[in-house]
Amino acid sequence: MFRVRLHGRGGQGIKTASQILGSAAFFSGFQAQDFPLYGAERRGAPIVAFTRINRQNILERGPILVPDILLIGDESLLEDIQAAPLCGADNFTAIFINSSRLPEKLQENYSLSTLPHVLDITSLCVKFLDNGSSTSAAIAAVGARLLGQIEFPALKEAVELELNAQGINSDLRKKNIDLAEEVFQLLTPMEVKERPEKNITSSKLISSEQKPVVLAAPIILEPGNMALRKTGNWRLDRPEIDYEHCNNCLICYARCPDGVIGIKTDGSPEIDYDHCKGCLICAQECPGHFIKTVKESGSWE
Amino acid sequence: MGIDSSKRLMLTGNKAAAWGARLAQVEYVPAFPITPQTEIVETLAKWFADGTLKGKFTNMDSEHSMFMAAGAGAATGVRVFTASSSQGILHGMESIYTIAGWRTPMVVVNVSRALATPITLEPDHNDIMSVRDCGFIQLHAETCQEIFDFILIGYKVAEDPFVCLPVLVNMDGFYLSFTREPVLIPNEQKIKKFLPEFKTSQPVFKASQPMARASAVFGGSTYTYFKIQQDLANRQAEEVFLKTSKEFEKHFGRFYDVVEKFNMEGAEFVFVMSNSFSTKGKDAVLKLRRQGIKAGLLKLRLFRPFPATAIADALCGHDNVAIIDQNLAPGMGGITYPEIVASLYDRKNRPQNILSVIGGLGGKDITEGDFLSIIEKLKSSETKQPFYLFGKKDEENFERLQHLAISNKEAFQS
Ligand code: SF4
Ligand code: SF4
Repeated sequence: MFRVRLHGRGGQGIKTASQILGSAAFFSGFQAQDFPLYGAERRGAPIVAFTRINRQNILERGPILVPDILLIGDESLLEDIQAAPLCGADNFTAIFINSSRLPEKLQENYSLSTLPHVLDITSLCVKFLDNGSSTSAAIAAVGARLLGQIEFPALKEAVELELNAQGINSDLRKKNIDLAEEVFQLLTPMEVKERPEKNITSSKLISSEQKPVVLAAPIILEPGNMALRKTGNWRLDRPEIDYEHCNNCLICYARCPDGVIGIKTDGSPEIDYDHCKGCLICAQECPGHFIKTVKESGSWE
Repeated sequence: MGIDSSKRLMLTGNKAAAWGARLAQVEYVPAFPITPQTEIVETLAKWFADGTLKGKFTNMDSEHSMFMAAGAGAATGVRVFTASSSQGILHGMESIYTIAGWRTPMVVVNVSRALATPITLEPDHNDIMSVRDCGFIQLHAETCQEIFDFILIGYKVAEDPFVCLPVLVNMDGFYLSFTREPVLIPNEQKIKKFLPEFKTSQPVFKASQPMARASAVFGGSTYTYFKIQQDLANRQAEEVFLKTSKEFEKHFGRFYDVVEKFNMEGAEFVFVMSNSFSTKGKDAVLKLRRQGIKAGLLKLRLFRPFPATAIADALCGHDNVAIIDQNLAPGMGGITYPEIVASLYDRKNRPQNILSVIGGLGGKDITEGDFLSIIEKLKSSETKQPFYLFGKKDEENFERLQHLAISNKEAFQS
């Protein structure tokens, strides 16, 4: 069984990548299973998707806790405590990171137990698709190639099928297939290590005691705790106010759906980057286009 | 309008429920009328309007908002009462599950009425069974007196710091709701001693104190934790009910066990029943005993939490048991039947012969003859379950109506 866990951000095509990989494995004669995990979050929020590939029937369901392959579609997730993409990875786990940095530097900086596989997917997506965040075909190609069990024709068929299902036109599908082929050629299959099966050990279950109602009901007594939920890491792009030209009209302040643009004492707007989700509505709304957008990436250099 | 000494009044079940709410000094009643419950909210509306009751009575736009308002009202720390029935319960279902999770105490009366389709106004228990799993406490009343008493006991159970759950008191539509019988209404001061003003044991909604009672959780652990706590609190209510019942007895002289055993000594044939038709069952038991048949009856009273031990204790040692469900889960049968059978499973001397009976649907009577037929069925070797109380006469009745409904039969047969 190959258990592939994909990490990315809402809008990056991570779910589609897991589906392309699932279909490619299926077209190659495997049993396959794929599914995404997301809640009430939105574009930019950390997303996880899973693909299981096996010769026999797959008797597992639900999230993959111990992945054989980790496909990390956004490097900044490695710094995100909530996304925790490395969770459950062990010495048997092969790690892929979409990054322009050297594998050795990434291994050192994120204390990875193995040297990661690295490719600058974002740049390739810009080159082939003119869009750095449409990574589904490229990420799926990474998974298929690293596994070494899926031939390109099966992958091509899967990209065609899944992107067509998403309503992507044939011209763009063709570009995605070219992109997938490029990724396929840039990588070589990894060495697959067989994970030994462990004996089942019983869960440590407890006998619950009744608690006083304040602790037993889903009551929240502390108001305003949304401030504690930092959503700044959802951003794919960062809005930056050009204070040279900004005339303090405060339209951005009024339009920000998350209310994270404040007003400084001098009357100028200020973005709270701990909570700004990067929807870029402010940039869209600023009458003079004085809010520029800057790509987010890992914070270290 | 205050009464200064205990008195016996001829009251319908609905009026008894209204009196229960009145003497429990309820402070907030969100209401929506539905036959056969309307008399309850009409009576309360009048008492709020003429100043007999202090507080707020609000006509809501549906049962959905009514139950939500009841939960929200209770979350502000006031004593809340409301009532519904049948399709109203179904319409309020989303709110019913929601407020059970809020852990806000209140008393709700359900006036049982069978569910559509076909539409009827007459009683059976599918409506009350539909909220079996929502997390409310359930008490089933046989008499108008029980309705009144259960409302007072209900508030004490609901408001117990270790319960904090809504209590649902059930009565049968028509058979109790519109039936007048004498009800002893104790003196107001005496009731206040038993049931003082509501003092909440948890933080409450206040304008100055924002809070939430319906947080969203993710991942299953937190959800499971709260659900286990709901279960533990509901189970705790059995002990609290018994304690409260004993206290009630001290004040008013009537004691209510979680189940009621009627002529169970030496009974070879036991009918398990609930609500108002138990009275008919008791009458049949007495007549059958006079005919030399050793019959007995076990009446279910506290239905949630389910008093499995008390039920098993009562039934063990008796050979033949007929569980009469006035409800029907199509494709499965009677709803209380499997619960009762499960409670007996680990008992060595459990009854060997247990029959599932379906009767009293949509207000259909259960007759003396039906009870004897059940005994004959228990004696026979035929094992087909469930046993429907539906006879020759019923079929003829139906066919007469069908004839009217489909007069031009040929049109359908061709
Ligand atoms: S991008 Fe602009 S509008 Fe969107 S959340 Fe951030 S500050 Fe608000
Ligand atoms: S909308 Fe543009 S000009 Fe107006 S305050 Fe915001 S950044 Fe400045």
